[in-house]
Amino acid sequence: MTATHPISPSLSPQKQRRQFPWVWRITVFYLLVMLAVPIAALLSRASSAGPVHFWQVATRAIALSAYEVTFVTALIAALINGVFGTLIAWVLVRYSFPGKRFFDAVVDLPFALPTAVAGLTLATVYSENGWVGSLLAPFGIRIAFSRWGVAVAMLFISLPFVIRTVQPVLTEMEKDVEEAAWSLGATHGQTFWRVILPPLMPAILTGVALGFSRAVGEFGSIVIISSNTPFRDLIASVLVFQSLEQYDYEAATIIGTVMLLVSLAILFLINLLQAWGRRYAEH
Amino acid sequence: MRSIKPSPTQEKPWLHVLLIVIAIAYLALVLLMPAANVLFQAFHEGVMPFVENLLEPDFLHAVWLTFALALVVVPLNTVFGLCAAWAIARHRFPGRTLLLSIIDLPFSISPVVAGLMLVLVYGRNGWLGGWLQALDIRVIFSFPGMVLATAFVSLPFVAREVIPVLEEIGTEQEEAAKTLGANEWQTFWRVTLPNIRWGLLYGVLLTNARAMGEFGAVAVVSGNVAGLTQTLPLFVEDAYKNYNTASAYAAAVILGLLALVTLVVKEILERKTGIKPNP
Amino acid sequence: MVNWRRFRVWLSLFLLAVGLSGLTAACQFQATLPDGRPAQINLTLSSFAVTKTAHEAIMPLFAAQWEREHQQKVRFRTTYGPSGRQSRAVIDGLEADIVHLSLGLDIDRMVKAGLIPPDWASQAPHNSIVTTSVCALITREGNPKNLQTWQDLTREGVTFVTADPKTSGAARWNFLALWGSITQTGGTPEQAQQFVTKAFRHVATLPRDGREATDAFLKQGQGDALINYENEVILARKKGHPLSYSIPPVNILIENPIALVDKYVDKHGTREVAQAYIEFLYTPQAQEIFAQYGFRPVDAAVLAAHRQEFPPVPTLFTVADLGGWEKVQAQFFANGALFDQIQQENQA
Repeated sequence: MTATHPISPSLSPQKQRRQFPWVWRITVFYLLVMLAVPIAALLSRASSAGPVHFWQVATRAIALSAYEVTFVTALIAALINGVFGTLIAWVLVRYSFPGKRFFDAVVDLPFALPTAVAGLTLATVYSENGWVGSLLAPFGIRIAFSRWGVAVAMLFISLPFVIRTVQPVLTEMEKDVEEAAWSLGATHGQTFWRVILPPLMPAILTGVALGFSRAVGEFGSIVIISSNTPFRDLIASVLVFQSLEQYDYEAATIIGTVMLLVSLAILFLINLLQAWGRRYAEH
Repeated sequence: MRSIKPSPTQEKPWLHVLLIVIAIAYLALVLLMPAANVLFQAFHEGVMPFVENLLEPDFLHAVWLTFALALVVVPLNTVFGLCAAWAIARHRFPGRTLLLSIIDLPFSISPVVAGLMLVLVYGRNGWLGGWLQALDIRVIFSFPGMVLATAFVSLPFVAREVIPVLEEIGTEQEEAAKTLGANEWQTFWRVTLPNIRWGLLYGVLLTNARAMGEFGAVAVVSGNVAGLTQTLPLFVEDAYKNYNTASAYAAAVILGLLALVTLVVKEILERKTGIKPNP
Repeated sequence: MVNWRRFRVWLSLFLLAVGLSGLTAACQFQATLPDGRPAQINLTLSSFAVTKTAHEAIMPLFAAQWEREHQQKVRFRTTYGPSGRQSRAVIDGLEADIVHLSLGLDIDRMVKAGLIPPDWASQAPHNSIVTTSVCALITREGNPKNLQTWQDLTREGVTFVTADPKTSGAARWNFLALWGSITQTGGTPEQAQQFVTKAFRHVATLPRDGREATDAFLKQGQGDALINYENEVILARKKGHPLSYSIPPVNILIENPIALVDKYVDKHGTREVAQAYIEFLYTPQAQEIFAQYGFRPVDAAVLAAHRQEFPPVPTLFTVADLGGWEKVQAQFFANGALFDQIQQENQA
């Protein structure tokens, strides 16, 4: 992998100043209009409740359980996809088999299918009468309309992220190192754990984190496949939606704000992780 | 016709097959079966009802509107994405990681909250509501509001795709062009853009896919007036809610096909450039 | 450097297309009649989802009549969706001339927002209620568990599906039907609370709205029974979904109100035609169409003609009998109110 190039020091300060203003202006203006103003509106509406009330609404039992269902399930889904996504990326990059190109293209499907359609079809396929659900029903496993259903929807929408972040790194990774390790007498297990996995780790973690943050915000498909029972499989996005339907803008904005802040923290972490990954690649 | 290339690591063949089988099984379980079900639902009454559903005027308008939205949003986000990518990839400054995270934010904000935020700004009781009403400018519940919502949810893709490419190509070529007397515009047009164009196009395609498929945020700000502000995903919902299940799935298939076009274009791009090795 | 030149051409064409589409959108024409009135008048109706087919059948009839009498074309703009979302959209600036919603609460919100006068209910016949319905109990083929009344739903081993009263305004009718089945037959509020708490322990899933509830019951096989609105069941049957249902003898009268959005009709100059459409909806002709699409007509003669489809309910109560929407909302559905408590208790 080529290293990141730092800014060339030969660029004179005047040149830099002359060169960047309009690029910066567009970036900053667009971010202000598109992101900053709406987010500020949300925050100001939420904070008009006052800190004490804010805290009360944000930490009501039903809200706490909704955060728990959302974040824990999203984490589990992201981790499962971390394992299977890496495996799929590996298979797609390293092996050739009939239909490979088709499977590669299919990976982007969750980006394209409207989430409500995704929810409907997932609920149908994974319900007790569905193609997959009916196979599991005899074992007493119920997927749709339970927390498993939430997890399945999250798996669906977050799968592309791990695959698409791991694929390029895997492509760049040179096989000679593996071969060297192998010829030096390392076992498959050792080669995998000591040689292959470490350089992949940042990419995998990034993919997992991106998938996680996408899953946390998902609404359209989950509202259909979940039974929306509080304390069982009610997610935070649906709780926001419920509050809106109750004309309770205050609760909606407060819970929305909590989600927003947590998401920002997670994304910040991801980007630090990526910076770390780049540094790792450089050395 | 199963041809498995001998791996340089000389793994056991059974491990090979096993891994491939697991990968395909997982993809089938999570992605393929649900997608197949959409097709099944749309066509299980035959092809004729499917075709009839596609000739409704409201449907045709929804298709046009979906295209129109993408036509406005994609260039907007492309220009922004390019600028942001340039600004971020070519500079080290305090708060860089935070800026990157903020650009990523639309990605993980629930679309319902995204729509709500726009209503809080542009709605009748929002920050700019009174001012917009005095000027009789409609933002929410008309095209501009839908553009805002769609642009919001698809904002990160171009920047996300272009930043790593920009970082990877470095600045030597640009420097060289400048030394040879090219101005900034020429440098960008002749040197930078050709270098990043495939990364850029991939970002554009993802933006497009997301823009066409967005439901949640648009549902909040469009008002869903048939033949006026109803996009394809909203049409799907409308038809479904009125028990026109076949019509709903037919429209979903069309949306899926639009996505498929995106995927095919992407595939062609990748093959042309050899970004990914295709053994 | 693959086709770099062509790439640039393509890019320029693309930008040109964007500019052109913007231009065409900016040009709009407005023709007028000799007397200065516009030749075409736009009327925007916002209504809850399942009225779509009925309104679509009624609108052309009205437009023809209006054109005969006023030499003016009426062009309808329609939006259908969940009642709560429709109401919120109008409050936030969707300039609908007429709203036909599934519950009065959603119109009261617009009154609070200053869009509709407080006395809206007296502006049209039948207290501005234009369609009605009742709650239906849908069971599996042949009713294997023999479910007839609301009480049967709390029998051992029975589960049922209802839309979520928190996300679907309309689903509040279901909750109220269960509640009223106790309080309107001599029970105390305590007994009603006990019953409803017990009933919600038997809920298999709480879908977002009536439509998704139908699919959860029918396609995804959830529960032994489904509570849904009679009109929605009839529409579903018309569209080929096999549902067998009964109307429990103690039931709530679902009342769907209609109102002019005062502020917007004045702004658009559409008061006259909007008023005329509302009145048209009360004519036997329009009421007949509503009846065909599953709504119980408010016109007594039309209702009598449809006795077969709409059997009379022995004990029928209304939301007014329970104290009106304001009270019902605060007591049952607001965040932290009874419904939340029941859910919490059932999980404990």
